Amino acid sequence: MESNRREIEVMANLLSSNDIQAEVNRAHFRKNNCLAINVLGSPGAGKTSLLEKTLPLLIVDMHVGVIEGDIFTSKDADRIAAHEVPVIQINTGGGCHLDSKMVSKVLPEFNWQATDLMIIENVGNLVCPADFDLGEAFKVIVLSIVEGDDKPAKYPVIFRNAKAVVLNKMDLEALTDVNMENMKQDILAINPDIQIFEVSCRNGNGLQAWISWLSQEVTTYQENNG
Amino acid sequence: MHEMSLMGGVFEVIEQTISQHEVKRVLQVKLKVGELTNAEPDALQMVFEAFCKDTICEGAELIVERVPVRGRCRTCQLEFTVPTMFFLCPNCQNTSIEVIQGEELLLESLEVE
Repeated sequence: MESNRREIEVMANLLSSNDIQAEVNRAHFRKNNCLAINVLGSPGAGKTSLLEKTLPLLIVDMHVGVIEGDIFTSKDADRIAAHEVPVIQINTGGGCHLDSKMVSKVLPEFNWQATDLMIIENVGNLVCPADFDLGEAFKVIVLSIVEGDDKPAKYPVIFRNAKAVVLNKMDLEALTDVNMENMKQDILAINPDIQIFEVSCRNGNGLQAWISWLSQEVTTYQENNG
Repeated sequence: MHEMSLMGGVFEVIEQTISQHEVKRVLQVKLKVGELTNAEPDALQMVFEAFCKDTICEGAELIVERVPVRGRCRTCQLEFTVPTMFFLCPNCQNTSIEVIQGEELLLESLEVE
């Protein structure tokens, strides 16, 4: 029997359904004049701690909403809700990252007349979330210095695609062998435009610079969005 | 392991493609995966086999071509391969580099009968 073996050219993006929904989410944020950011980092880096320290100062001047991504629990959302900030938990049920469809499903839960900044805290993971656009304006990485100064070079994709990195747990610097200069040099070699903040969520050092920068980003976004 | 989600994307594309062609069996699936993504070829192979079971793709071969990162210097326009993920123009030492290749996550082609 004659074989009908043949090749079909396709050239299709594997993430197209995620990317299309991400653009819909991005248009939603833009229409509501809301800066959306995607916060990424390893488990235990201090993503939720950073939000807990940041939110009380931010909500003096603006309305903030939070989407918490977690595999199973609502522990992080409970911590955020204690600060009287609207928060919605997404449980991925084993999934290692948020995707744009999960985010779109919870958007109707917020009051969009009064949200200047939407902070999306992703599942703790330096690998998988990097490939999934949620519709955010930009990504922020939280990296604790105790994870080691080699981490930026080992996980370059996520650093290449972020606008800022918050280096947390600076209060532990003297107790570790971390070389801060190497760490920052590697981060800038991967992404020379990235903003670097050195903070300690435990003692509060460095947080003001990060909070001022983020507030300014909200103002700039809203002015440009006009 | 987000390769599961990516493979969901692969199979969405396969289903859409074969609905437009007369296909009895898929024999080979070719992907192009940029080095500036976090898709891991071994993990893709593993989930591919799981996804293929009891489908038109059962027994198909998955070929994953890794695409190296290439950049273009925004100052001198030189195009070069970025081997270490450190973005520095070898000609003028500028660090403002536009990525022109290496972010692909594509289904390139299917071999079918």
